[in-house]
Amino acid sequence: MLFKESLISAISSIRSNSIRSFLTSLAIIIGTAAVIAVIGIGSSAEKALEASIDDLGGRTLYVAPGQNRRGAVTKGIIPLDIKDAEALAKFKNHNWEISPTITRNRQVKLGNANINQRIGAYLPIHFDVRGYELELGRLFNEDDNLGRKRVVVVGSKIPSELKTGAKNLLNKEILIAGTSYKVIGILKEEGSTGWQNPDEELYIPLLTGAQRVFGTQNVDSINVGISNDVNVDEIMMSIEQILRAKHDIGPGQDNDFRISDYSQFSDLRRQATGIFTLLIAAIAGISLVVGGIGVMNIMLVSVTERTREIGLRKALGATHKAIMLQFIVEAVLLCVIGGLIGLAFGTFILWITATLFDWPFALPFGAMVGSITFSALVGLFFGIWPARKAAKLDPATSLRYE
Amino acid sequence: MIILKDIKKEFQLGQQKVKALKGINLEVDKNDFVSIMGPSGSGKTTLMNIVGCLDTPSSGNYYLNNQLVSELDEDSLARIRNKEIGFVFQSFHLLAKNSALDNVLLPMKYAGTDINEATERAKYILEQVGLSDRINHGPSELSGGQQQRVAIARALVNKPSILFADEPTGNLDSKTGDDVMNLFKELNEEGQTIILITHEEDIAKQSRRIINIKDGLIESDTKI
Ligand SMILES: Nc1ncnc2c1ncn2[C@@H]1O[C@H](COP(=O)(O)OP(=O)(O)OP(=O)(O)O)[C@@H](O)[C@H]1O
Ligand SMILES: [Mg+2]
Repeated sequence: MLFKESLISAISSIRSNSIRSFLTSLAIIIGTAAVIAVIGIGSSAEKALEASIDDLGGRTLYVAPGQNRRGAVTKGIIPLDIKDAEALAKFKNHNWEISPTITRNRQVKLGNANINQRIGAYLPIHFDVRGYELELGRLFNEDDNLGRKRVVVVGSKIPSELKTGAKNLLNKEILIAGTSYKVIGILKEEGSTGWQNPDEELYIPLLTGAQRVFGTQNVDSINVGISNDVNVDEIMMSIEQILRAKHDIGPGQDNDFRISDYSQFSDLRRQATGIFTLLIAAIAGISLVVGGIGVMNIMLVSVTERTREIGLRKALGATHKAIMLQFIVEAVLLCVIGGLIGLAFGTFILWITATLFDWPFALPFGAMVGSITFSALVGLFFGIWPARKAAKLDPATSLRYE
Repeated sequence: MIILKDIKKEFQLGQQKVKALKGINLEVDKNDFVSIMGPSGSGKTTLMNIVGCLDTPSSGNYYLNNQLVSELDEDSLARIRNKEIGFVFQSFHLLAKNSALDNVLLPMKYAGTDINEATERAKYILEQVGLSDRINHGPSELSGGQQQRVAIARALVNKPSILFADEPTGNLDSKTGDDVMNLFKELNEEGQTIILITHEEDIAKQSRRIINIKDGLIESDTKI
């Protein structure tokens, strides 16, 4: 009952001084918002990065058409095509897995169901590289690819998108961009990686896709899977040599393709974000402590302002403990409310950023709980002194206070 | 019930020492109704604060119910103020943001009374002082007389042994002042011990005993 009374009194006191309370807790608000936003953005970015990296132990180099103009003589860009991938695959000095991809959205029909879906054309090796597992039927193989067979393996969500069951769909013919394809396999549920959802994709052999569906020999990108123990620089040099030769790029001319090493990139990024996060968290911590000093200051003012009230409460039988409790609860509440506002604000910033960059949005629960606890502790710590000052007031003198 | 032996009180005002009480000897029995009179600055409030356990004397002994008060610790004093003593202050001293009901509830909250029982008792006592239709009004929505009655209800709600009232009629017109005095007389007839501070002869005459204080000393002590 005493605690409830303290809480009610604290709420009424904070409400009747709402502007002052807001200004007092501003540092707490900013501190908490910064912690939530920075830690949340850091982990979102990392998740997005991880999602784009092959998580199968080894590393994946990513080759895509493009050019870094450095002012040198440039030729037009020659797109990467299946021949380039084959040339890389033929090169046996390295033990690498070459996986070119073409993906586009196409209309998919089965009976009445008509959906626009992502179609990916891959080599059979792709399932291996990604670690996708089969639920029903079989995967396509090299024969299907070379024979440009009209076969398709579908992600786990496709049957329901086509308003049918997995067992039902197996061995059925579906229409992809108007042509009939046989469903030979259905994958297990893989879960979204953030960028794209493998469960909602249809997989066809690369050559089938190139010839029958997309009508192009150009690939979006070539993934080069390598094991962790090889020398990445050497691999990159080999790729460069082969592709430059194929694209007939003379000395002094720029590459018309880019090779990215995401894992290396991410290591650096992770390190950088780690340091950055630590830095901001430290600043936010300082901000919270400064906020705590502000709260203490205002609580001291509040104690002085309410000297008569304290005197009265003591005259009515409030003990030392009861008065302490009242003012500590008020200080803690002030900080926790500030913390909660900051939390909402930080989450909002995080959400905006994640949406803007198309990163997976995940609430940093640890940071949320941690920062609220920390603000409560700040309130507790900086509330003790004003509360003791209040509790020690002499009742007779306090009642005379004007 | 109350025994004061050579009570002195000094205040330090900068370099100066103010002797507010210079040796008070006084006994008050249960069920008495005492008026304390005296000019401004004579030490009436100081005396009430000491007898009400709000303040401690500089020297002398004060026994409350045969207990030497100076031997009690902070928490025991708080408990006595809560249970044994009811204060009605000159300037009401209600919590401005709380309703009449909440103001009356306050002493019971510090006593740890069960909330339902406390609410019931608060409502009953507010009815006794004629405010049953004002329980949810804040002090700013009440007249001076009504505020004083809330203060009286609050002072009585824990059934104190002694009721102190510091100029309870000082801020009221004579009609409402009379109402308050009638209430006090009724309470006293029911057995309530009351110590009242007043400037007004008419008010003092309505009690059973008048004590005159001047310059921190008892000048006269008359039974009516
Ligand atoms: N806390 C204090 N500090 C300093 N001086 C005080 C204090 N309390 C009372 N005094 C002084 O002690 C003397 C007695 O004060 P007290 O308040 O008891 O008078 P009073 O009889 O109640 O007067 P009034 O009728 O005006 O209320 C006064 O001179 C006053 O200034
Ligand atoms: Mg006085």
